[in-house]
Amino acid sequence: MKMKAYPLLWATQEAMEAAASRWFRRQLLTDAQYQAIKTAYQPDFYRPGLLLRIGLVLFTCVGVAGAAAFLALFGAAARLEDFRLLGWAVALGCLGTQEVIIREFRHYRSGTDSALLYIGLFVLALLLAEAADSLTTLSRYSAGFGSAYYTVLLLPLLGLLLLATLRYADRLVAAATYLVLLALLANWLLILPIGRLLLPFVLMLTAVGSFRLLQRLRQRPDYLYYRACLLVLEVLTLATFYLAGNYYMVREGNAEISGLYASAQIPLAPLFYLFTAIIPLVYIAVGLRRPSRLWLLTGLAAAAFSLFTLRYYRSVLPPEIAAVLGGAFLLVLAVWAARYLRPARHGLTSLADAGQPTYFNLESLVVAQTAPAPTAPTPGFEFGGGHSGGAGADGSY
Amino acid sequence: MRTTHLLADLQARGLLPPAQAQAIANDEQARPMSLHQELRAALYLGITLLTGGLGTLLYQHLDDIGHGAVIGAMALLMLASFGYAWRHRLPFTWGQSTAASFVPDYALLLGCLLFLALETYVQAVFNVFGNRYGLATLLPAVLFLALAYRLDHRGVLAMGLTALGAWVGVSVAPLSVFTANALFTSRLGVAGVLLGLALTGAGLHAEFTRRKPHFAFTYISLGANVALLAATAVLFDYYPQPWLPKWVAVLLVLLMSAGLVWYARHAQSYLFLLMGTVYGYIALTYSFIQLLDFSNGEAGGLLVSFYFMLSTAGVILLFVRSKEFLRRV
Repeated sequence: MKMKAYPLLWATQEAMEAAASRWFRRQLLTDAQYQAIKTAYQPDFYRPGLLLRIGLVLFTCVGVAGAAAFLALFGAAARLEDFRLLGWAVALGCLGTQEVIIREFRHYRSGTDSALLYIGLFVLALLLAEAADSLTTLSRYSAGFGSAYYTVLLLPLLGLLLLATLRYADRLVAAATYLVLLALLANWLLILPIGRLLLPFVLMLTAVGSFRLLQRLRQRPDYLYYRACLLVLEVLTLATFYLAGNYYMVREGNAEISGLYASAQIPLAPLFYLFTAIIPLVYIAVGLRRPSRLWLLTGLAAAAFSLFTLRYYRSVLPPEIAAVLGGAFLLVLAVWAARYLRPARHGLTSLADAGQPTYFNLESLVVAQTAPAPTAPTPGFEFGGGHSGGAGADGSY
Repeated sequence: MRTTHLLADLQARGLLPPAQAQAIANDEQARPMSLHQELRAALYLGITLLTGGLGTLLYQHLDDIGHGAVIGAMALLMLASFGYAWRHRLPFTWGQSTAASFVPDYALLLGCLLFLALETYVQAVFNVFGNRYGLATLLPAVLFLALAYRLDHRGVLAMGLTALGAWVGVSVAPLSVFTANALFTSRLGVAGVLLGLALTGAGLHAEFTRRKPHFAFTYISLGANVALLAATAVLFDYYPQPWLPKWVAVLLVLLMSAGLVWYARHAQSYLFLLMGTVYGYIALTYSFIQLLDFSNGEAGGLLVSFYFMLSTAGVILLFVRSKEFLRRV
């Protein structure tokens, strides 16, 4: 059996479609060249847009549930009532159907094949957990995190997910593989007495190591096949590096592992304050200098989480004042940047990229969702009757 | 990195001379990154935070003598926003106007949000609307719709439609429509269906008379969602609604779903195809299970599981053929 489920050519065709039309728009290709490229790289697979993929996942799940119910009823009629047998039938049925759909109907991560893959792997994971339960004397409930039970559970799971990632190059499966790897590392560390102190640093080092490995993998000739996976993993390594050093995560995680109800101050707290404050700024700076949207957006998300961390432990300002000041700051910053970056400076621009889709329609739905609808005052309600009466009487803010 | 791989592939196939490949690689390096979407998101987030904070501040200082400063500042800010948006207005057109900058759009949004906060305040303190509660929601609806048409703004149109929904008593916002309406306990079914049908009609009118055809999406996505959800909720309501019997609701959902799928073909829209299919599928499945006779348990169960297998395979086939299906207008 070949290692890759989809032809490598499909990935090239998909990437070329977007790139060639951009180069043509920027007048780097002649008309004849563009047409030649279009015919040479004509996509011969099925991969619809995001909305239809969601629909396909939805209906595939309903269909698999129907098929599983059919099998279960059939089994019940034939006096075959073993849960494991049904599980194997569903898992192998899903993975087998997926292979057929890819080969015969040329689906390329269309939603149907992805959903079948997720269901198949999920059921296989359940079967593995069941096997781990019966293999070890420890049960899931008596053994805490940091025990041999989780090694028996997670190690085969990691192998399964790794094989699935290598074969199908699916983003979600790749992310799950990485998270299982982190969980396994944490589990091993927590067996050691000093492991809890080392855990944040080991996770940060793992993130750095994974990131360098990902950079190396970019040079491989099958990079395009795994491109989506590598991007997701890059975001995850950046997130791990930040979260492992984040004060809130370390403190609350420490309390969680120790089984404390209220978290207590942690050793080396100033170091984690520093990490929480500096890492988002570094990410944003790298994102703007390189420029890289991936670093920038991860940095912004990290900055938002750092603000949350700060407000969780220290009440800096009342929320409404913080909202007014923060909102005004964002507003002024965005208006200034929109003017300053027109047409372009430092490799950045505020003008729309012709290749980027415009989300005007989506924006109107977001406004409809988030803007408060005017509320008619309820009859008989007197506003302002005392200091506590007015505040929060209206649910729209 | 992607470029390197693609250019190598093109050169290996002899479709691109090396000099041109080098030019493309250089252009990819030098091409500035567009922060357009990020800045728009930052602007909208800033506006939402600012108006939300100001609204809360107003409530907290409702009885203080010092609240005049907050109101004065808000009123000034609102006038400045409206003035800025109005000064940068483009001549009226039934088509879509293309502005050079997106800042006036957000100034208009800021003005509208501040108007809502101030209106609630004025009603609370001075009781201007008295007992005419409807007026308090109809006024912003009319104002926002007028502004949306004159200044060509889809976000303000959506705000006007949510205000219109509030006037009727139904939440039309895409997600709150599921949570805020308490569809299973309230009697909003008929109001929701009628409002949704009216909005869908307005959207179709905009599309086919070419009067602001780009508004059609907002009208139809909000309207059809409310109407279909209200009618679907009627199906699963334990107490039958007096004005909307269940068989009428089934017919209504099926007709509207068919209409949406038809419109999806006209507008080449995958969202409407998905909406129409999902709601239509729910109504069909509901009728199928209602019609089934469950007296001999096992056969009924087999039939239902068989139905799910076959019907989902049918829907998946429709989706797979959707490209050709949508193109065949």
